[in-house]
Amino acid sequence: MTEAGEVKRPGLINALFPSVVSGIVLGVIGAVVAGVIVNAATKGLNQDATVAAAYTGWTLFFFVGIGAFNGVLKWGFARREATPAEELQLAGKGQGIWRYFRYTTDHKVVGMQYLATVFVLFFVGSMGAFMIRLEQSTPGAIFFTPSTYNTIVGMHGILMIATTIIMVSGPFGNFILPIMIGARDMAFPRLNALSYWLLFAAIPVFLSMLALGGFQTGWTGYAPLAVQGLTPGMDAYCFLILIFAVSTTLAAMNILTTVIVMRTKGMTWGRLPVFVWGVVLSVILSLTAFPSFIVSQIMVLMDRIFQTSFFIAAYGGNNWLYEHLFWFMGHPEVYVISLPAMAVAAEVAAVFTRKAVFGYRFLVSGLVGISVLSVIVWGHHLYLSGSENALVAPFMLDTELISIPTGIFFLVLIGMFWRGKIWVTVPLLFVGGMLVNFVIGGISGIYLADLPTDEILHGGMFVVAHFHFVIPGSMVFGFFAGLYYWFPKMVGRRLDSTLGRLHFWLFEIGFLGTFTALFQAGLQGEPRWSANIAPPFATANLIASLFAILIAASVFVFIYNVIYTLVRGERAVANEWGGKTLEWTVPTPVPLENFEELPVVTSLPYDYGSPLPEPVTPAADIASAVIEAPIQPQGEV
Amino acid sequence: MSEPNIEGSTGGASPARGEPRHLRRAIIIWAVLSVIGIAVWLAVAPFILPSAASNLESTDDLTIVVLTALSVPVAMFVWVFLGYSLFVFRVKDRPTEDGVPLQPRPSLQIGWLGVTSVLCLFLLIWGLVVFYQETASAASNTLVVRVTGQQWLWSFDYPQYGASSQSQVIELPVNRPVQFLVTSEDVLHGFSIRALGVRVDANPGEVTTTPVITATQIGSYTVNCVELCGLYHSYMWEAVNVVDDTTFNAWIVSQGGHL
Repeated sequence: MTEAGEVKRPGLINALFPSVVSGIVLGVIGAVVAGVIVNAATKGLNQDATVAAAYTGWTLFFFVGIGAFNGVLKWGFARREATPAEELQLAGKGQGIWRYFRYTTDHKVVGMQYLATVFVLFFVGSMGAFMIRLEQSTPGAIFFTPSTYNTIVGMHGILMIATTIIMVSGPFGNFILPIMIGARDMAFPRLNALSYWLLFAAIPVFLSMLALGGFQTGWTGYAPLAVQGLTPGMDAYCFLILIFAVSTTLAAMNILTTVIVMRTKGMTWGRLPVFVWGVVLSVILSLTAFPSFIVSQIMVLMDRIFQTSFFIAAYGGNNWLYEHLFWFMGHPEVYVISLPAMAVAAEVAAVFTRKAVFGYRFLVSGLVGISVLSVIVWGHHLYLSGSENALVAPFMLDTELISIPTGIFFLVLIGMFWRGKIWVTVPLLFVGGMLVNFVIGGISGIYLADLPTDEILHGGMFVVAHFHFVIPGSMVFGFFAGLYYWFPKMVGRRLDSTLGRLHFWLFEIGFLGTFTALFQAGLQGEPRWSANIAPPFATANLIASLFAILIAASVFVFIYNVIYTLVRGERAVANEWGGKTLEWTVPTPVPLENFEELPVVTSLPYDYGSPLPEPVTPAADIASAVIEAPIQPQGEV
Repeated sequence: MSEPNIEGSTGGASPARGEPRHLRRAIIIWAVLSVIGIAVWLAVAPFILPSAASNLESTDDLTIVVLTALSVPVAMFVWVFLGYSLFVFRVKDRPTEDGVPLQPRPSLQIGWLGVTSVLCLFLLIWGLVVFYQETASAASNTLVVRVTGQQWLWSFDYPQYGASSQSQVIELPVNRPVQFLVTSEDVLHGFSIRALGVRVDANPGEVTTTPVITATQIGSYTVNCVELCGLYHSYMWEAVNVVDDTTFNAWIVSQGGHL
C-alpha cells in the first residue's frame, strides 16, 4: 500500500501489491483453502459444495489481494476522509501503464480495462462460434463429441451474451459518458473499479467450466437439466452468472447515479446526448431484469448443493418457475444490449451526416417506449411451454407493440441520412450495416412473436438466425461503429481506415450469408443445439459454415488493425471527426479529471446547419412528458 | 403515408429550382422494388417452404407467406431510403458544410406511429384468429396419442387401442383428427413434428396437449426434440409415417393393440 505523502519505495513488492498479480495469487490460495475445508467438512461427498466454496474463496481473496478493501480499512467506519492526494493516487496518477492492472478508480482507466476485456472475450467467443460452424458443416458429430459440442455452444452463448451486455456500457459508458455529461469522474469511482474487477474475477470461473467437465444446458441453463447435470461445470455456470450479475448491477447503479447527479451546468435531461439516454435506459432495464436471473441461479445452486427441489417435479418443483425467472431477465436483456448500441448509431450518424438527430424527443420517447414494453414481453418465449393458453394473447400484444417504438428508431435514422452531407467513414459504414441487418432481425422477430408461425419455428434454427441478426448483426455492428468512432479519443491513435473497410465488408457479407442460410434451415425445421445435424439440413448448414470463413477473416483483419494501430498508427487530434459532444472538446489523451474548468451547456450537441429551433409544438410537449416520467421515480431510489 | 412532410419541414432550406426531386424518386424506387420483392417472394415461397402435410401446417405456412409479403415493403422502405441517401448524398471527403437541418413534423411522427400501429394490429388479429381456430375442441373420432419424452427417446401410447409403439417409428392415420398429450419423464423436452405443424414442450410432471391436427398427406416425417435436453439431444429424432386407415389398423394390431 502506498500512502500518499510517504516517500515512494521503488521495489518489486511495492509494485505488485496491491495489483492484479497479488489478487490472483491470494485468490488462488483462497480458493484452494476454502475448497479443501469444505471438502473435508462434507467428507468429499458434495463436490458441488466444494466447487461453490472454492469460487467464493477465489472471489473474496482476489479482492483482498487486489486491494479492494484497503480503502475501507483506511477510510471506512467514519475514521477520516481520503485526502485529495490519496484520491489521485487511487485514480492512478503517475503509475504509468501499471495503473491498468490495479484497483484504479479513474473512469478512463476502467473504460480501457473494459475495452481490452471486451476484445479478448469477443475473440474467445467468436472462436467458439467457428467451432460450432465447423461441427455443423456436415451431418453427424464428427469433430466434437456431443458433450463437448454442448459445452462449446453453451460457453459461446453465455460469453457472447455477457460480452454484448457490457460491450457499449462498459468501455464507452465508463470512458466517454462522464465526459459527455461534463463530469470529472463517475459518482462512485471505487465502485466503478469494483464492477470491472468483478467482471475480471468471473473470467477464471468461466474458463474453469472446461476443466470441470463442461455443462450440458446451453446458455439458458434450463432447470431441471441444470440440476440433473453431474459435472461441476454447471456450478461454475451458476457462479459465473452471480458474479457477472453483481458486477453489472454495480456498474448500472453507478452510471445511473452519475447521470442523475453529475451533469454539468446546463446539461438538462432535454439536452443529454442520445448516447447517454441509451445507456441510462439500458442500465435501468438491467437493474429491473437481472435480479430474477440472480435468484434463478441461486435456486439452481441450492437444488444442486442442498438438494432443495425448486425445479424437480417429483418433489413438487416446476420447470416453468425457472423458465419465467430466466426469461423475465432474458428478454429485457436483449434490450439492455440494444438500447446503447442503437443510441451509438444515432450519435455516429449525426456526426457523419452532419445533421441533427431527426426528432431528438421522438427518438428518446421511442427508446423509453422500448425499455418499458420490454419488461412485459418475456412470455412469448413460453407460447409452447404448455402453460395456460390465456397468457398467449396479452404477450402477443405486448410483443407486437414493441415494434412501434422500434419503428421510431428506423424513421429517425433514415431521417438523419436523408439529404445529409454523408461522409462515408468506417463508423458510418457500420451504422449502415446495422440498419440493413436490424431490419431483417426485427422483422424475423415478428414470426416468432405471432403464435401460428412460432409453433413451427420455436426452438429451431430460425430463432438462432433471428437473434444473431439482432445481436451480432445489429448491436455488435453498433458497437463497432462506436469503436471506430471513439477509438481515436480513447487510445489517441486512428484505426486504419482501409483495414476498417475490409473488416466491415468481410463481416457484413459473411454475416448475411451465414445467417440467411440458417433462416432457410430453420424454415425446414432444423432444431437448435444440434451436434448431429440431420441430412435434410446439410446443404444450408454447409453454406452457412463457408460464409462463416469470411467472418473469421474479418476477426483477424480487425485484430491486425488494432495491433498495427497501437504500434504505428497515426496520432489522433482532439476533435477527430468534427463532433459536437463534449468529449471532443477535451484534449487527447484525456487528462486526469477531464476538464480544467467544467463546461456550461446551452443546447443539444447537434446544431449542424442552421441553429436548431427548440420544438415547442404541443406534440413535443407530450413527448417531453413521456421522457421525464420514468426518470423521476428512479431518482428517489 | 406522410413522407411528404420530410420535404415540407425543411423550412427555408427547400431544394433549389432544378435540383432533382429526391423524395419522389425514392418513393418510386421503393414502390417498384416492393412490388418486385413481393412477386419474387410469392414465386419462390412454394420452393422454400416444406410441403404442408396437415391442416394446421397449411395455416402456419400461409401465415409465413402473408407476413413475408407484408414485410417486403417495410424492409424496402428502410433499405431504399438508406441506399438512396448513401449514393446520392455522399460527399467525397470530410464535409465542409452541414446537411439540411430537417426535423420531423408532428404529422409525420403521428403518421408513422399510425402506420406501424395498423401493421401491429393486423399481426395481432391474424395471430389471435388463427390461434383460436386451433384451440377448437376435439371431434368425437379424434385419435389420442400419449407422447412421453425421456433422455433421449420418445415413446408413444395409443390409449384408445391399448397399444404402445414398440420401435422408433409411429404411424398416424391420414385424414383423421389427432391430438397429442405430451409429458416427460426427466427434463424438459420439445416435441415437434415440423411437417404437421405440431410443437409443444414436454414438461416433467405435467401433461400438455397440442392442438387437434389432421394429417392430410401420406408420407414419412420426423419427430424432433427442440429443447436442449442434454448429451444426445440432437439424436432424439424418430420417424412418423402418415398412412391410410387399413395400414394404420394393421400397425396398431402389430403393436399389441386391439381395434
